[in-house]
Amino acid sequence: MGDKVDVWQGTLALMVLKTLETLGPLHGYGIARRIEQTSGRQLLINYGTLYPALVKLEQEGYIASEWGVSDNKRKARYYRLTRAGRKQLAREARDWQQANAILARFLSPAEGRS
Amino acid sequence: MKKLRALFRRLTGLFTRRRRAREFDDELESNLQMHIEDNLRAGMSPDEARYAALRKFGNATRAKEDAWEAWSFVGLDRLWQDIRFGLRMLAKNPGFTAVAVLTLTLGIGANTAIFSLIDSMMLRMLPVASPDDLLQVKFRVPDRPGEPSGAFTNPLWEQVRARQDVFTDVFAWGEANNRDDSFKFDLTKGGKLESAHGLWVSGSFFGGLGLRPTLGRLIVPSDDQRGCRGVAVLSYGFWQDHYGGDERAVGASLSLGRHSFEVIGVAPPGFYGMRVGENFDVALPICSSALFDEKDSRLDDRSWWWLHIVGRIKPDISGAQVSARLAELSPGIFTTALPQGWDRDGQRAFVKRRLIAVPAATGISGYGLREQFGRSLAILMAIVGAVLLIACANIASLMLARAVARQKEMALRQALGASRTRLVRQLLTECILLSSAGAVLGIVFARWGTALLVHSISTTRSTVFLDLSPDSRVLGFTALVAVITGILFGLLPALRSTRICLTSAMKGSLAMQTDRSLRFRTRKWIVVSQVALSFVLLVAAGLLLRSFAKLVTLDLGFDRNNVLLVSTDLKAAGVTPDLQPAIDESIETVLRALPGVASAGRSSRTPMEGGAWSQPITSEWSKDLSPEEAETWMNAVTPGYFEALHMPLLEGRSFASADTATSPNVAIVNQTLAYRFFPGHDPLGRVFRIQQSSGEYGPPIEVVGLVKDAKYEFVREDTHPTAFFPVSQFPVRAARQTFELRTALRPSALIPAVQSAVSGVNREIPLEIHTLAEQVDDSIVQERLLAMLSGFFGALALLLVMVGLYGTFNYMVAQRRAEFGVRMALGAAPGSIQRLVIRDLVTVMAAGLVTGSCLSLAATRILQQLLFGLGPHDPVTMISTAAVLSAVALVAGYIPARRATKVDPMVALRMTGRQDASLVEAFHHNEDSLSTAWGFPIESVGMTLIPPSDVCPTACGVRELAPAVEVGSSLPADGPPASWRRAERSRPGGIALHKLVAPPCRVKESVHEYVFSETILDTRLKSRVLKSSNRVCHFRCQSFYLTCISPACPSLLLLE
Repeated sequence: MGDKVDVWQGTLALMVLKTLETLGPLHGYGIARRIEQTSGRQLLINYGTLYPALVKLEQEGYIASEWGVSDNKRKARYYRLTRAGRKQLAREARDWQQANAILARFLSPAEGRS
Repeated sequence: MKKLRALFRRLTGLFTRRRRAREFDDELESNLQMHIEDNLRAGMSPDEARYAALRKFGNATRAKEDAWEAWSFVGLDRLWQDIRFGLRMLAKNPGFTAVAVLTLTLGIGANTAIFSLIDSMMLRMLPVASPDDLLQVKFRVPDRPGEPSGAFTNPLWEQVRARQDVFTDVFAWGEANNRDDSFKFDLTKGGKLESAHGLWVSGSFFGGLGLRPTLGRLIVPSDDQRGCRGVAVLSYGFWQDHYGGDERAVGASLSLGRHSFEVIGVAPPGFYGMRVGENFDVALPICSSALFDEKDSRLDDRSWWWLHIVGRIKPDISGAQVSARLAELSPGIFTTALPQGWDRDGQRAFVKRRLIAVPAATGISGYGLREQFGRSLAILMAIVGAVLLIACANIASLMLARAVARQKEMALRQALGASRTRLVRQLLTECILLSSAGAVLGIVFARWGTALLVHSISTTRSTVFLDLSPDSRVLGFTALVAVITGILFGLLPALRSTRICLTSAMKGSLAMQTDRSLRFRTRKWIVVSQVALSFVLLVAAGLLLRSFAKLVTLDLGFDRNNVLLVSTDLKAAGVTPDLQPAIDESIETVLRALPGVASAGRSSRTPMEGGAWSQPITSEWSKDLSPEEAETWMNAVTPGYFEALHMPLLEGRSFASADTATSPNVAIVNQTLAYRFFPGHDPLGRVFRIQQSSGEYGPPIEVVGLVKDAKYEFVREDTHPTAFFPVSQFPVRAARQTFELRTALRPSALIPAVQSAVSGVNREIPLEIHTLAEQVDDSIVQERLLAMLSGFFGALALLLVMVGLYGTFNYMVAQRRAEFGVRMALGAAPGSIQRLVIRDLVTVMAAGLVTGSCLSLAATRILQQLLFGLGPHDPVTMISTAAVLSAVALVAGYIPARRATKVDPMVALRMTGRQDASLVEAFHHNEDSLSTAWGFPIESVGMTLIPPSDVCPTACGVRELAPAVEVGSSLPADGPPASWRRAERSRPGGIALHKLVAPPCRVKESVHEYVFSETILDTRLKSRVLKSSNRVCHFRCQSFYLTCISPACPSLLLLE
C-alpha cells in the first residue's frame, strides 16, 4: 500500500455522491470498488473510513438507504442519491472545478520554469 | 437547515440506534461477504480470500463506534455514565456521603431560606395580570427631599380618578379602619378581640388588577357609590379558615365592627393584597367606610391620608410620560382637594405638590418592611454565603483525602485511556450529585426554616405574612447554588487527584506519598481560608449579639417586667363619647381592685407600642431651638401610670383628682424636656405651650412634676423630651385606652380575672391583652432575629471549622506516621513530635486569624447601622473571637497531636516496610536513571521509608540537622567531621545526614560507627544493627530514608 494516495478530507463524500449519481443505487462495497476503479487503483478505500462517511451523508439527507438484494442474491444495504444530494453534488463539483482551475493556473507556470 | 436535520436525526437516533447498530453489523457482514466472494472469484483460496478481505476492511470496531457517535449525543451518554458511576461511588462511601450531604443541606438550605425571604419580600411580582404595567401614584412635596409619599385623601383620589388620562384602569385601596394605627375589624361582640384584616378597595380595584373570583363575584364600580350598603369580598384564606371553604359563604352576612356586610364573593387564592408582608381577610368598597365613621366621614376629609393609588398604564406610553402628564395635572387636582383647615403657608405648599408614578409590579412595601428588613436580609445572605463557603472548604478537604485513597483507581483509569478532562468531569459530576442531594434536602430544610423565620419576625400584635411557596426564582437560585457549590468544592480536588505520575502510581503506594506534601499544603490553605472566613463571621455574630445584649439590658426608664397591658375599644362597644371617661374610670377602679394587682394606670399610649404622638412646644428659653429640637413626645395618663411602670417621680407632684377638664392645664415632664426647655432652671411651676397644626400656640401648661427619662417608641432612640398630661385634660384617643397593671404574680395568670372584671363593667368591650415585656421584645424583633441567626450560623461555622481542622490534622498525622515513627525510633521525644504538629497548627491559625481580621475590618462596616452601643471594629469582640477560635483550634488540633506521639516506631516502620516491599523493587528497576539523577552510582538499595521522589539529590534535611555538612560531599576516611558530632550533640533527637557515596566501602566503617555508636537509636534497634557488624546504613533526615548498602541490610531486620 505504499503508493496509496490519501483521500482528502471532504473529497470522499463528493466521490460517494458522484459514484451514486453515475451508477444509481449501490451498496457500500460497490461504492468502494467503484471509487478504487475510477481512481485507477490509486485510491484504496478503507471501509473503516467509508462507513462513517455514508452515515454522515445519510444524516445530512444527501443519500437514503434501504435493504435490497445484490446481484449474487446477497442481502445488502443500497444507498441512493436524494434530491438534496443531487443539488449538493452539483454545488460541490462546481466548487471543486473552480478550486482546481485556480490551483492549476498557479502550478503550470512554475512547472514551465523548472 | 443541514444542522437542524442532522440534529433531528440524532434525536430520533437516540431511540433507534440499537436497531441501527444491528443493521450496521448486518451491512458490514454482507459487504465483507461480497468482498470474499470477489476474492474467491479472483482465484484466491478461501482462507486467503477471507484474510485479504478482513485486512482491507480496516478497523471495523472503530467504524462502528464512529457511526454510533453519529447517531447519538455522546455527551449525554457520557453524562449518564458519569452519573451512574458517581452514584455507585457515593454509595460505596456512605459515611463520607452522609457527612457531605448533611453539611451541604445545612449550607444550601440556609441560603435558600434567606433567599426565599428576599424573594418574597423584595422580588416577587404581584399575582395579577401583567404586573409590569402597574404604576403606583405618589406625590412629591416641594422643597422636601426624600421618598415621595404614597398616601392620599379620598377627595384627592376622586380627583385623580376623574382627571387622569394615562391609565386604562386606576384604582385605590386603604387599610386603616379608623384614625388609629389599628386596621382590624372586630369580628365578635365583646370579650377577647378576634379581628379580621380589612382592605378598603375602590370599585375598579379587582377589575384593574385583572383578578377573577374563586366564588361569587368581586367588587365592581357599581358597589362603590356614596351611600352604598355594605358588601364584602373574602380572601381565599379567610374563606377557608372561617367558612371551611363552604360555598354557602356567598350571600351570608358578616358582622364587622357592629355593622353587617353581605358576602358577595371570594378572591382568588394567592392574592394577598397589595402590600408585602401582609394579607387581608375581607375587602370592602371604599364607600362603606362611611358606615364606620358616622358624622366625620373620611370620604370628605381632606387631611385623612388613608388611600394608595395604583394604575395600569396605557399600552402606548412610557412611565416617564405618565409622570410628566401627572405633574401637569397636579395643580388642578391639589387645588380642588385643598384642606380647608390649613394655614396659608401650608395651603400654598400643598398646591405645589406634584404627582409622580413609580413601578408597582412587586407590590407596595408594607409599612417599611422592605426598608426595615432589607439590610438585615442582605447581611444574613452574606452570613449564610460565608457558612456555605466554609462548608465547601470542609468538603473539599474531605474530597482531597478521598482523592488520595482513589489514586490507584485514577491511575488505572488514565492508564486505560481516560483523558484527564474526562476524569475531572467524572469527579465533578460526583460533586454536583452530592451538592444536588444537599440542595434537594436543603429546600425541605429551607421551607421549615423560613416558616420559623417569618414566625419569629411576626410580633404578638402584627403578624407578618409572606407568600413563601417556592417559585421558579427560588428553585433556580438553589439549583445555581448547588452547581456552583459542587464545582467550588470539587474542582480543586479533582484537578489534584488527576495529576498523577502514572508509572509511579501504578507501582503501588508510591505515589500516595509522592504528592503528600503538596496535597497537605493545599489542605492547609483550605483551612487557613476557613479560619479567616469564620473569623469574619464570628466577629459579625459577636457584634450583633453584643449589641443585642446591650439593647436588652438597656435601662429603658421603666420596669418592663410584670406589667399587663389591657387595651379597650369603647367605640367598638358602642359607647358614646360622652360616656367614655366614666367607663374608663370605672374599669380602672375594678382592675385596681383585682387581687394580685399592685397598681394600675391608664394612658393613651404605651411605651414601644409603635407610633408616637408628638407636637412642637415652646417655652421661655426655647427660642433658639430648631423645629426638630422643639418636637416633644406626649402621652395622656392617669397617676397610676407612673406607679405601674415604676417610673420614679423625681420632683413635684403626680396628677390629682383636682386636675379636671376645667382646672388649669398641667403636665409632668421628663428630664430631657426639663433640660432642653428650662435649661438651668427648676422646671416646676414653669409653663410651655403646644404648637397646634395651624401654627398657633395653645394655652399655657404648667409643669407640676418631673419624672425620670424613659424610652418612648424605640429601644434604640435617643430619649425624647416627653410631656405627660392628665387624661381628663387631653382626652385624645378617648375610645382606645390602655390600662397598665403592675402585678405581683405572673402577668398572664391575671388575664381571666381581667376579662371577667371588664365584662362586669360592660360586656361588649373588646379587649386586647399582652404584657409590656412582650411589647418591648416585639420592638426589637429585628435585632433579636439578626442576633439569633448570626449566633446560630456563627456556631455552625465554628463547628465546621473545628471539624475541618480536626480532619486535616488527623489526616496529616496519619500521612506522617512513618516519619514520626522514624523520628521516634531515632530518639525524638514525644514532646518534640507533638511540637511539630502544633507548630503546623499555629502557623495555620496565625495565617487564618491575620487574614480574617483584615477581612473583618473591611466587612463589618456594613453592620454599623444595626449596631447599638458599640462600633463595627469593637476590639473586645475581635479579641474574644480570636480567643474562641484559637481555643477551638487547640482542641481540634490537640487530639491529632496526641495521636502523633502515640505512634509505635516499630509498628510504623514495619508497616511502611511492608507497604513498600514493592517499592524497593521499583527502586532496583530504576537504579540507572536514579543514579544519573543523583550523579553517583548506587551500590544497592535497601528499604526506603519515603519514596525516591522525595529522596532528591538536593536533600532537604541539611538545614534541619547537620548545618555543617555539605550535601554530596564524601565522608572523610577518618570518620565523620567534628561538625557532625556538634550538630548531633546539640540536637539529641536528630539524625545525622549523609548522602549516598560511592564507593561505599571506603566510609562504611566510620559511617557505621558514627551512626550507631551514639545514643541516637532506640536500644533495641541499636543492638540488632550492631550485630550485623559490617553493614552501613545511611539516615537522611526529614525525608527519612534509611538506606543500607550491603545486601543483607538492617532494614531486613526492621522488616522482619
